[in-house]
Amino acid sequence: MFKGFGILAAATLTLAAALPAQADKLDDIIASGTLRCAVVLDFPPMGSRDANNEPIGFDVDYCNDLAKVLGVKAEIVETPFPDRIPALISGRVDVGVASTSDTLERAKTAGFTIPYFAFKMVVLTKDGLGIKDYADLKGKKTGSVSGTFEALALEKDVKKWGDGTTFNGYQTQADVFLALSQGQIDATVVTSTVAAAIVKDGKYKGLMMGGDAPYDIDYVALIALRNEQGLINYLNLFINQQVRTGRYKALYDKWIGLGEAPDLTIAGVYR
Amino acid sequence: MNYTFHWLPAFRAVPDMLAGALVTLEIATLSMVLGVFFAILLAVGSSSNYRALRAVAISWVELARNTPALFQIYMAYFGLGSLGIHLDSFVALLAGITFNNAGYLAETFRGGLRAVPPTQMRAARSLGMGQIQAFRLVVMPQMFRIVFYPLTNQMVWAILMTSLGVVVGLNDDLTGVTQELNVRSFRTFEYFAMAAVIYYLLAKFVTASARLMEWRLFRY
Repeated sequence: MFKGFGILAAATLTLAAALPAQADKLDDIIASGTLRCAVVLDFPPMGSRDANNEPIGFDVDYCNDLAKVLGVKAEIVETPFPDRIPALISGRVDVGVASTSDTLERAKTAGFTIPYFAFKMVVLTKDGLGIKDYADLKGKKTGSVSGTFEALALEKDVKKWGDGTTFNGYQTQADVFLALSQGQIDATVVTSTVAAAIVKDGKYKGLMMGGDAPYDIDYVALIALRNEQGLINYLNLFINQQVRTGRYKALYDKWIGLGEAPDLTIAGVYR
Repeated sequence: MNYTFHWLPAFRAVPDMLAGALVTLEIATLSMVLGVFFAILLAVGSSSNYRALRAVAISWVELARNTPALFQIYMAYFGLGSLGIHLDSFVALLAGITFNNAGYLAETFRGGLRAVPPTQMRAARSLGMGQIQAFRLVVMPQMFRIVFYPLTNQMVWAILMTSLGVVVGLNDDLTGVTQELNVRSFRTFEYFAMAAVIYYLLAKFVTASARLMEWRLFRY
């Protein structure tokens, strides 16, 4: 009797010890009861803070939705653009809901889902500088958030134009707007959603739209660790369900609301 | 560990990072030259008989030494910017670090000046030198011998402070280049590790050249 119990106990212990080793990130999240999302909070309307300093925005709601279907509590971890990967690698967050452009260069490092949002780029400038479209940026002082999709595209054109055109890369979107409103730079290229939000908000005086930027559409994806296929699989299905159930459209209307929500698919290819 | 280091692509970025290191060295050197110039004025000014001069010198030193360098650089860019004075990123960083350097060096120089016995001045004057001539030819050389070590230290500190340039949009110094490589490819740890090594070597290079200069300058 006692001997049998001993074997049983040993077997249970072995099993219990073996289980966590097999658990993947998805299991870990469910077991821990908390989903920690990296969200950029100076990127309205995707992420920002309300009057009570609480995180709000499309990405915040998106994280909450994800936590709900996982049956866990959401924890929003404010993460500036350059810190998204260190936050993921160091285990401070489980997923990045942070408008991350899915470049092939980055995909060597991070695991990307299918796109969950898409951005169009516009020029944002100041009253009275006479910048009406993208071509007017030639010879002007420009700037953007260092290393972002639009910064890379703009910097490439600035180098091509030469002729006194300058580019400054800032660390945060807030610094770009501050520099623009103070006249340190004449124009920036940002996502149309951010531009609309910042012009409407009126916190920075005299900002105005300066036409569309002729860039490709910037598809952004959720990110997780590259080897967490189980989690990425779940996230892909979640994104699919968000669109299917109409939740994507609802969130788009709530936070952006400029007509149709952008199409997340590209005709002619899978994914 | 859920991260595999990709050293090979990272090593290809070394030429870009070295070009960034050159900008870093340039800013640090300029800020030291300017810093020493202002620090001498401040050291003399803080013991001046003119009250206004003394007030300016003392407040400069107090502000420079008791507020973070990050704020000083941020103020040079965005602070002055809000008043309609636009420094570009390079100049703003240079101004910020110079302000900080001058503050610290002024205290070093003040200590150095006090360590030169007042009898030296009297002796020089009794040989018929003027006040400024005596200061330049007798007191200053002795002071520089005393403050040489702390000066080297400050130069190393200036190099490290240039990394704060990213907050004012500087993207061609070592930290700027590194940060951009980081966001572009997300290979944070490789690039930061290499940047750390380059900063370390820069600092060592400064210390070694200082040793060499010291040996050439101060031998009897």
